[in-house]
Amino acid sequence: MAIRELKVCLLGDTGVGKSSIVCRFVQDHFDHNISPTIGASFLTKTVPCGNELHKFLIWDTAGQERFHSLAPMYYRGSAAAVIVYDITKLDSFQTLKKWVKELKEHGPEDIVVAIAGNKNDLGDIREVPMKEAKEFAESIAAIFIETSARNAVNVEELFQKISKQIPPLENPEVDSNKSFKLTQQPPPSARRCC
Amino acid sequence: MAAEDLPSEFDVIILGTGLCESVVAAACSRVGQRVLHLDRQSYYASNWASFTFNGLLTWIQEQQAESQPDEVQDWSGQVEEGEDLIYLSQSDSSSISNLQVFCYTSEEDEEDDTPNTTEEEKGGGASEATEAADSNKEDEEETEKQEAEEQVAQDEGAEPEADQPCPSADPNQSEPVKKKKISLAQLVKEGRRFNIDLVSKLMYSRGSLVDLLIKSNVSRYAEFKNVSRILTYRQGKVEQVPCSRADVFASRQLSVIEKRKLMRFLTSCVEETEDQQAYNGRPYLEFLSDQQLGENLQHFLLYSIAMATEDTPTEVGLASTRHFLRCLGRYGNTPFLFPVYGLGEIPQCFCRMCAVFGGIYCLRHSVRCLLVDKDTNRCKAVIDSRGQRISCNHFVVEEGYVDAERKQTATPTRCVSRAVLITDGSVLPSDSDQQVSMVTIPPVEAELPSVRMVELCSSTMTCMPGTYLVHLTCQSVGSAYEDLSPLVTRMFHTTESSDQEERPSVLWCLYFNMVDGSGLEVEGHDLPSNMYLCSGPDGALGHDHTIKQAELIFQKILPEEDFCPPAPNPEDIIYDGENGNGNSAEGEELKDDELKDDEEPKEQEEELTEQEKEIKEQEEEIKEQEEEKEEEQGLESEKGQGLETEE
Repeated sequence: MAIRELKVCLLGDTGVGKSSIVCRFVQDHFDHNISPTIGASFLTKTVPCGNELHKFLIWDTAGQERFHSLAPMYYRGSAAAVIVYDITKLDSFQTLKKWVKELKEHGPEDIVVAIAGNKNDLGDIREVPMKEAKEFAESIAAIFIETSARNAVNVEELFQKISKQIPPLENPEVDSNKSFKLTQQPPPSARRCC
Repeated sequence: MAAEDLPSEFDVIILGTGLCESVVAAACSRVGQRVLHLDRQSYYASNWASFTFNGLLTWIQEQQAESQPDEVQDWSGQVEEGEDLIYLSQSDSSSISNLQVFCYTSEEDEEDDTPNTTEEEKGGGASEATEAADSNKEDEEETEKQEAEEQVAQDEGAEPEADQPCPSADPNQSEPVKKKKISLAQLVKEGRRFNIDLVSKLMYSRGSLVDLLIKSNVSRYAEFKNVSRILTYRQGKVEQVPCSRADVFASRQLSVIEKRKLMRFLTSCVEETEDQQAYNGRPYLEFLSDQQLGENLQHFLLYSIAMATEDTPTEVGLASTRHFLRCLGRYGNTPFLFPVYGLGEIPQCFCRMCAVFGGIYCLRHSVRCLLVDKDTNRCKAVIDSRGQRISCNHFVVEEGYVDAERKQTATPTRCVSRAVLITDGSVLPSDSDQQVSMVTIPPVEAELPSVRMVELCSSTMTCMPGTYLVHLTCQSVGSAYEDLSPLVTRMFHTTESSDQEERPSVLWCLYFNMVDGSGLEVEGHDLPSNMYLCSGPDGALGHDHTIKQAELIFQKILPEEDFCPPAPNPEDIIYDGENGNGNSAEGEELKDDELKDDEEPKEQEEELTEQEKEIKEQEEEIKEQEEEKEEEQGLESEKGQGLETEE
């Protein structure tokens, strides 16, 4: 089966549970006092989708969203973006629109957008009605789901939904000068010259 | 997004997000320092930034606007016993000068079928910027339109391949292939497809920046492309410079004898000989002409491979030739790499690394003044733009934030002349319209400097399909316009070009001078002892100056620590569920990584010896050159595929 690497970037205010969602998805683990995203440039998890394997490279904001200083490079080449808000904090839902706008400005054009209302285990102190959020998501053609990273509710489903929306692989590019990553060892066939 | 207060205590405060500051930030944060990284701009990378087309127009306006007089506020209330106050400079426009914009295409596209989409973005001030630039524009526009139409007609007749005038290659592009010249409105509409760097540099595949990116694992945040060919401009023509072995064999410009001579020369260059030493201090040109290589080869070797001038001493010329040769073949056929989305990505990548290890980022935020201990002459704290006192042990700052009177600059300020062109065709059309070209251009007139040109195609994600982004750079003699426009007029079609040769048209261009940062020392200024200055971009092609400076600053702050050890691989990060303590898990990770780190130098050594072997092999193979010719071409295509391999 072919493996496709898909970059997914997380957006949303500080403290809405972006890291917890990734941590639940990747490690199936929830830490109450998760220190804000240390040492992880991105986390990966591979899931089957049709006759492909989707290897998600999930990028966290690394706290750069805190003072609204996310770098444009954060969005580069993302196949999908998950915008997270906290259902118990109306503020975090209101800023969602700002994140959508920022994504439109800096993100790739064909990006799959998902909106995740996190902390759905705290329904009794809910401030954001599900209906309102769902309607907003529909208005921008985004995936919508309420999640609970703490109780492992809908986290897998979120990424499954994203997987399904990823368009099939386009024709391989004819461009011979493809871009590549720099790694410890030079590509094996990059042999001598001159 | 709320206006939250910053923490009030850090180990290192860094002001400015240029390459040097960003590398220092990443290095400090990586080894556990608490880093606060600020920039007064709303964008990353200071003078290393890249902009969308609209972003660039806004930047131009900002540069042209008169800088507001400093609002001097009194912070003496924040000063504690035994402290002095040093104010920082609050405007930084001084590093950019002589800014001029020219638009050689029509402002609106008459047959634009989707006019509505441009409105919002146009507010960015496209028209103002261009109006300010050129008062004769309207007249020019008229003639320009006619000329453009003539040009198209000519192209259609003369060149049926149709791939040169409008190379819209990407099949995913919904935009229909247009024969018409792209209008300014279209550039604005497609503005976000541009990533226009203020600085034009390339990465040597074995240069210190590539080594650092790989060593630190910061490389995983970006992708790169090979510069696919080296070109030169000679006798009014653009030619390809054969530099790799494959190129030499495939070259049609070179005779068999020249090929043999070139190969012999390049091979002999690799090791220093007594014969070469005899030329130390004398011009490299003299050394070359004594090798009896002929005019062709001499030009290639001097201008394109050594990237030297006629006065460059032999030892310098040979050193850069060796560096060039060492860098060949690591990733591709030329020694150079270019980051996809532009050079402005690189500082951002280091900033991300800093953030990933806990560094705090805040744009649109600056430092007003420093609080300095009178006895120790150390900066104890800063007062930020919101009046908050934040303490620190070290303060790193881009030189633009420091008043000129406090800086010791040895030489009179040197500048780099820059031009940025958006063109509609390559300077040397070829089978592929997706070439990334480095063009070395000797002085086109006496008194003019040699110029370095980098032509980027749309697949570098720096310009819209159907256009090329051309960066020109040289050491300033006069203003950027004076230094570079004679060349632009010769190599491209503008309204100032006299004849109607088939040359790419310039749609839009920008000239400016930027201060060359290479003249500044890290220390020795009239500043606190724990404060370090980072210089802005220098005029050289590579990044060695900046990386060396960043490492030096890091070593002064943390003499005992490792500079940018590799960050753990995403796959190796384990959130330890049983201990439930993220910190201990992280500690283990780092240890693992240090072990890995130990293994790496060995790999590199092997690489080196392999390289030496290769060089010996080459010597033998020169003799068999004719037979190898075909095989080489095969190898070249093989290489192309190999580059896709990741990890």
